[in-house]
Amino acid sequence: MKRLLFEISHTSTYEYLGEVSVSHHLLRLTPRDSTRQRCLEHHLSVQPGPETMRIRSDYFGNLTHFVGVETSHKTFVITAQGRVAVNPVFIPDLLETPSWEWVRASCRDGHPEQTLEALEFTYPSPLVPAPEQFAPYTQPSFVPRRPVLEAVADLTRRIYEDFVFDPAATTVTTPVEEVLHRRRGVCQDLAHLEVACLRSHGLPARYVSGYIETEASPGQPKLRGVDASHAWVSFFCPGFGWLDVDPTNNCFPSMRHITLAWGRDYADICPIRGVLVGGETQTLRVAVDVTALGPTQAESIG
Amino acid sequence: MSDTQEPADPHGGLLEHYAAAPGVFDEVEAGASRPRPHWRPLLHSFEHLGRHELSSRWESGRRILREHGVTYNIYGDPQGRDRPWDLDVVPLLITAGEWAQLESGLIQRNRLFNLILSDIYGGPQRLLRDGFLPPELLYGNPAFLRACRGIPVPSEVYVHLHACDLGRSPDGQWWVLADRTQTPGGTGYAWENRTVISRVLPEEIRNCKVQRLGGFFRQQREMLLRLAPEGREHPNVVLLTPGPHNETYFEHAYLARHLGFALVEGADLTIRDRRVFLRTIEGLQSVDVILRRVDDAFCDPLELRGDSFLGVSGLLEACRAGNVTVANALGAGLMESPAFLPFLPGLCRNLLAQELRLASLATWWCGQPEEHHYVLQHLDELIIKPAFATSPATPLPGHPPGCGQTDEERAKLSQLINASPGQFVGQERPKLSQAPAWAEGRFTARSIVVRAYVARGGERFAVLPGGLTRVSQSPEDLLVSMQSGSGSKDTWILSDGSVPPPERATEDREPLLGDRAPAGVPSRAADHLFWLGRYAERLAQLLRVLRCIFGRVSGENGVETHGDWNELAQLAAQWKLVPGAAKGTLPSSELSEHMLRLLYHQEQMGGVRDLLSRIRLIAAAVRDRFSGDMWRILGRLEMDGRARLGRLPLTSATALIHKLVLDLAAFEGMEMENMTRGFGWRFLDLGRRLERGLAVLRLVTGAAAVRARPAAVLEPVLEIADSSMTYRRRYFATPAWSAVLELLLRDQTNPRSLLFQIEALREHARIMAIELKTSGLQAEHEFVTALAQNVRSAELTELAAAVAEGKRQPLLDLLDTWNRSLLVLSDQVTSRYFNLTVPRVS
Repeated sequence: MKRLLFEISHTSTYEYLGEVSVSHHLLRLTPRDSTRQRCLEHHLSVQPGPETMRIRSDYFGNLTHFVGVETSHKTFVITAQGRVAVNPVFIPDLLETPSWEWVRASCRDGHPEQTLEALEFTYPSPLVPAPEQFAPYTQPSFVPRRPVLEAVADLTRRIYEDFVFDPAATTVTTPVEEVLHRRRGVCQDLAHLEVACLRSHGLPARYVSGYIETEASPGQPKLRGVDASHAWVSFFCPGFGWLDVDPTNNCFPSMRHITLAWGRDYADICPIRGVLVGGETQTLRVAVDVTALGPTQAESIG
Repeated sequence: MSDTQEPADPHGGLLEHYAAAPGVFDEVEAGASRPRPHWRPLLHSFEHLGRHELSSRWESGRRILREHGVTYNIYGDPQGRDRPWDLDVVPLLITAGEWAQLESGLIQRNRLFNLILSDIYGGPQRLLRDGFLPPELLYGNPAFLRACRGIPVPSEVYVHLHACDLGRSPDGQWWVLADRTQTPGGTGYAWENRTVISRVLPEEIRNCKVQRLGGFFRQQREMLLRLAPEGREHPNVVLLTPGPHNETYFEHAYLARHLGFALVEGADLTIRDRRVFLRTIEGLQSVDVILRRVDDAFCDPLELRGDSFLGVSGLLEACRAGNVTVANALGAGLMESPAFLPFLPGLCRNLLAQELRLASLATWWCGQPEEHHYVLQHLDELIIKPAFATSPATPLPGHPPGCGQTDEERAKLSQLINASPGQFVGQERPKLSQAPAWAEGRFTARSIVVRAYVARGGERFAVLPGGLTRVSQSPEDLLVSMQSGSGSKDTWILSDGSVPPPERATEDREPLLGDRAPAGVPSRAADHLFWLGRYAERLAQLLRVLRCIFGRVSGENGVETHGDWNELAQLAAQWKLVPGAAKGTLPSSELSEHMLRLLYHQEQMGGVRDLLSRIRLIAAAVRDRFSGDMWRILGRLEMDGRARLGRLPLTSATALIHKLVLDLAAFEGMEMENMTRGFGWRFLDLGRRLERGLAVLRLVTGAAAVRARPAAVLEPVLEIADSSMTYRRRYFATPAWSAVLELLLRDQTNPRSLLFQIEALREHARIMAIELKTSGLQAEHEFVTALAQNVRSAELTELAAAVAEGKRQPLLDLLDTWNRSLLVLSDQVTSRYFNLTVPRVS
């Protein structure tokens, strides 16, 4: 299979009621390289200014911009543009994967060099503070000695079927415990929920932020600006590495998911986080376009 | 023990009723009536002083503390704010030999902690990879701040100031009960304790050859200056405080003043181009080192806790760029996790190839199966604590132990531990040693904990030869905690040889490294001073109004009044001193009732108590700017203001008002005579002048609005404006409108007149326009000049004549214009200088 080339354009426009005299932002809007994808080019710009703009890798290896604006302003625009080549993903036969108990044990007791990185994602995190509460919901999928990928696929399907995708049901501050209780939410909530479920069984699970290409209705030209920021889950299986899984779409992400960053949960990798002096209330407009440019000539590595 | 050769206790008198609890180490006596040798000189001296003298010295110590305004805030205590600091007259004595051992243990521990942190935050995390630390200690620990990994730390000094709480077990061994590694508090209190005790027991301190504390602070100061990023010639160090609501705010202000650093809050600092600046009235000033008293997670809302209002947005990025040093380094709070304690001996062998000299309290971390099991088996004897908590946790069921655990509580506790074992530790219950404390005229035993300090800069260490000794509330109390309101003791480290002369002499010889002109006035401080000026003047004004009204009511039931009572009641309504509904004429009893409420009632907005508490809050926030005398006057104002309504309400009210008026006058006098004419003073005076100008306008406006015989309203107005005498001397007549307007509005020789205030404001604006060179200041100067001109050229005689004919509106309109001008000026000042909108996270 050939690699697929995507062009991404992501613009966020903030309008403030009052003047903002100084602002600082952390932006995680640059797609990171992985076995699944390569960022071929990327450009980030902000208006006005900025007086300061630095890029570095954060703790989890995500490309992070620090942006300081010292010019008084009422409108703030962040534009991220780039091209990413995405590899097809190898998805193992569900039954060929080891049992979930083995995965848990080898992460916990295995040699630190191999599993230390994964182990970090088994513990509670700021937005998933008590994963043990999710064990009862998770348990029916994780019957003894079930191959881990089969168990995860089953859990993902159940979340997909049990939960209503409902943008009105939650906000960014809705605790994941409440999502479980109310059985509705958006991709971010479902990703946190599945992370919590996997950790409740001692499996390493991380939260992934990125984009997903949406398809046009048949016979209609693709609308612009409708492709969305998205979030899904990645879990670790020794021997296979990190495998992505998307509870919102009940699938293993492959050619239409583009990864921006990963961390323990949203709090670690929030794409845009800012601290402002002034501004009062704000409105935000977001436009995301993910355009498939077709297969590239290069052979895939994966 | 009774067959000892020791002389029978010669101190029987004082130690007679003293006995440590059975089974604990007694700091003073090695057996019944057998004082330890190093205590004998002090006990002898106490005996010599006698019970009576000791009591009076204790009293004078308490008085000094009150005068110095030493306080400690207790959370959740209605009387908690600014609780007076509790210091015992009996110090704790530790011999030179014993201290030398503790000293080397403290230094080793600090060295070890810094190595651990530098591996975790700055290194390859070898300790984790090689299995010396279980990964959960980091990965499951909220105190491990991932954002801090990789931030350069000068000289790898993560823990610049390290505090250890030491307790002594029955066998005489000292143990570390807990480490404080992010913002250890108490050195300031220890210093203040010594200051007080050396005044109360001057000869004893000399005779016992007690080691001095001053050198430690000088060394700490030098270390901080040297921790500045490279290439800063005259490093600017600031002390970052969470603010006056913090429990140890007194100490922050105290240390800032004594170490010579500016005291700042998060909102005073700003990050530009990845460098830290202090906002001052003179503009932005570069900051090189931040000695912080703000906890790790609260220091940067951008990268750490977004709900923090105490930090500085972008601080981590400035650290990352190597542009500022934060001490202690951000993330250092990790080492406060009790779960680290059981691993220290192994880490010490591995990192330092040494045995750990200062053992920690026995601790079992439940993240390990065997320890988990042990803790469950010994729930009754152990103290169960959160393994990682860095902030006060919610109480666990049936804790603290010893208060009796029910089966149900035990079951609940086991359940909690089993659900997430890694989150808990079990700790041995320390059996603390006891020492005598002076209470109610005799010595009684109290459990003690000593907080000891080691400071580090580069490869140099300094151990405070002393510490903060805290004592339990009662002899039976075996736990000691500041938050539960325990007292404290001075800690005397005795010297083998001679004690060097006082520090001051050495300080005179060699100036401190990097001394420089003090930092400018932070904008926040200027804001506080401005409002302090306004509230102090507002209070003085209110008190004079109340005094005027009470002066016209005689007879305690308020039935007899004299003078023009009706007019007075109408004036009070005009001045909005009585509720809006009470328009017409109030009976005198009701009016004085309202006035008493304004004077005594705590909930009365804009009342005396309300203004006093605002003054207290604001003054506390700039307390590092006041001299001891000014602070004492504020303290007296506060004490006097707490007076309760007496048997004879009107008499006691009048007496109270007199007292408060004098206190305020004393403060104002200090302000005029003792404060240097820097920007700090200018903002204080600016506030005062503005408020006084507004007040005189309100007085005259109220009088003009009441239809009455001129004298009936003008007499009280003159009295309140403190201008009756001048008027009488000048005019020998009953008050008339034209003369009163002249005297109160335009007479430039009258320090209470409107024009006098405007001219003072004009002078401030003129100086600031010259010295601050900020654009727009010229405009303000012109604005005030125009206002002054307007007042000068007003047709006051015609306006007065019109009032006499019943046409009040022209005068009221003019007064209103002036009033609005002053308010515009106030807005201009606040928006130009104090634009400190608290940042928010989006």
